[in-house]
Amino acid sequence: MTPPVAERSAYPVSPTIQAAAKPMLPGRRRDFLAGASRLAAATMLAAAAGLAGVLARAVWQANGGSADGTPYAGGAGWETIGPAVAGTLWLALATAALALPIGLGTALYLEEYARPKRRAVRAFQAAVAHLAGVPSVVYGVAGLVVLVHGLSAGRSIFAGGLALAALALPTVVATSAEAIRAVPDDLRTAAYGLGATRWQVVRHQVLPAAAAPIAAGACAAITRTAGEAAPLLVLGATSFATFAPAGPGDPLVSLPTQVFAWAVRPQAEFAAQAAGAAIALLAILLGLNVAGLFLRRRLRKVLP
Amino acid sequence: MLSADRLSVRFGSKTALADVSLDVPAQKIVSVIGRSACGKTTLLRAFNRTNEMIAGARTTGTARFHGTDLYGRTVDPVEVRRRIGMIFQRATPFPKSVFDNIAFGPRAGGFAGDLHELAEEVLTSAGLWADVAGDLDAPALALSAGQQQQLCIARTLAVRPDVLLMDEPTASLDPAATARIESLVHSLKATYTVVIATHDLSQAARLSDMTAFLDAGELVEYSPTATLFTNPRTRQAEEYVTGRTS
Repeated sequence: MTPPVAERSAYPVSPTIQAAAKPMLPGRRRDFLAGASRLAAATMLAAAAGLAGVLARAVWQANGGSADGTPYAGGAGWETIGPAVAGTLWLALATAALALPIGLGTALYLEEYARPKRRAVRAFQAAVAHLAGVPSVVYGVAGLVVLVHGLSAGRSIFAGGLALAALALPTVVATSAEAIRAVPDDLRTAAYGLGATRWQVVRHQVLPAAAAPIAAGACAAITRTAGEAAPLLVLGATSFATFAPAGPGDPLVSLPTQVFAWAVRPQAEFAAQAAGAAIALLAILLGLNVAGLFLRRRLRKVLP
Repeated sequence: MLSADRLSVRFGSKTALADVSLDVPAQKIVSVIGRSACGKTTLLRAFNRTNEMIAGARTTGTARFHGTDLYGRTVDPVEVRRRIGMIFQRATPFPKSVFDNIAFGPRAGGFAGDLHELAEEVLTSAGLWADVAGDLDAPALALSAGQQQQLCIARTLAVRPDVLLMDEPTASLDPAATARIESLVHSLKATYTVVIATHDLSQAARLSDMTAFLDAGELVEYSPTATLFTNPRTRQAEEYVTGRTS
C-alpha cells in the first residue's frame, strides 16, 4: 500500500517548486561554503598583498633606501650578491642533475618493474613517503655527517648540491610515481598486446604519457629546494664569498644562506644587501618556475 | 591450429576458467558466448598470455599454437603476442597520431620495411584508409569510436599475427559501426583465424563457424554455430540461446 503523496515526502518542498506558477526566482539557498570560501580567498589575497608590500620595501631598501625613510648611500650590488647568485644556480643545476634521474628511475622501478605485493617494495614506498616529510634541516645534519665529515667533501657546492638533491629526491619520486600511476592501464595492455617488450612499453607509451606531470613535479621540487637555507647553514655555507663559484669544488655559497647572514645584522648596509639577495632569489625561483611551465606545455604538445 | 587442453586460469583463489579444452581450426571464426564474467575474456587472454600481467594470475593446463605449448619454458610471451594478436572491448588508441598507432607494433618487432606502405595496407584491410588517407598525422583520439576500433584492428594487423583474438570488439559501438566491424571481421577470415568473444548472440550466429558456450568458467558446449543455435546438445546452451535463462 502506498501512502498519499504528502505523507511520503519527508523532505521540505522547495519554495521555488511551491511557487511554480509564479516566475522562477534565482534560488536563495543558504550555502555556508560559499561564504567561507570567499573569506578564505580574501585572506589569501591579503597575504599576497602583504607579500607584495614587503617586496616593494625590499626593492626600496636594495636601492639604498633605509627602513625609516632616510636615504643611505649604499645599496645591493652585483659585487656582493653575485657569488651567491652563481652558487644558487649551481646548486639548482646539481639538484636537477642528481634528483631527476635517480627520482624518475626509482619511480619507474616502483611502478613498472617491482612486484607491488612484495613486502619490501611496500616498505620502500612507505619510506619514500616519510622521507618527503623529514624537515630540511635534518638533511643538512645528515649531509654534514656523511658528506663533510665522512666523505671529506668539504663545505663545497658539491656537498650542498648532494644535500639539496637528497632533499628533493623523495618529492621527485612521489610526484613521478603518481604521474606514472595515472597512465591508464589500457594503454599498457594494448601495447603489450601488440608484442612490445616491457622496456618498449615504458619508453614509448608510459613515459611520454607521464612526461608533463613528471617535469612539473620535478621542477616544483627543485625550485622548492633551491630556496632552502636550513640544510646549507648546517653544512656550513660561507657568507663572505669574494668570488663566484666556478665549479662543484668551490666553497658553498647560496642566496638563501646569504639572506639569512645579512638579515640578522643590524647595520643598514646589510639590510640593503639582504633585500637585494632576497629579490635575486625570488627572481631565480620565478625563472625556474616559468621554465618548468614552458617545459610542461612543450612536453604535452610534442610527446603524445 | 590453436587449441586448449584442460586449460584453467585462477586469479588468487577465484577460478575464472576451469578445464577448458577446445580446438580452433585455421581460417575459421570461432565465437565465444556466455554471460558476463563467464570466462570469455580470460580464455582469449590465455591464448596470448596477457592474463599473466594481472597480479595473482595462475594458468594450468596447456594452450597450443601449431603444436607448440604457448606456456612452455622456452616460449617468449612477447613472441606469442606478436603471433596471436588481441583486440580489446574498449578501443584504446595510443594518444599519438594515426600513423604512430600503426607503426608502434611493427617498430617494436623490428620491422624493416616501408611503414607507410604497411600503414596503407592494414588501414585498407580495416576499412579505414578512405577516412584517414588524407592525414595520417591526425591524432588518433580525434577519430570516432567506431573508427578508433578499426584503427585498433589495423594496428594489430600491422604486427602480422596469424590469429586475431577479439574481446567484444563492438560492445561499445553504435549499430552502424558494429556492422562495419562485422563485415571487416568477415573479410579477415580469408587470411586470419579469428576468435571473437561476444555478448551479442545474433552477432555470433551471423559471423562464426563454430561457437563455444561458456558458463561459470566451464566450457558447456562447443559446436558448429548452426547446430548450437538451432539444435544444441546441452540444455544449458539451449536455454541460453533461446533466452530462457535465469
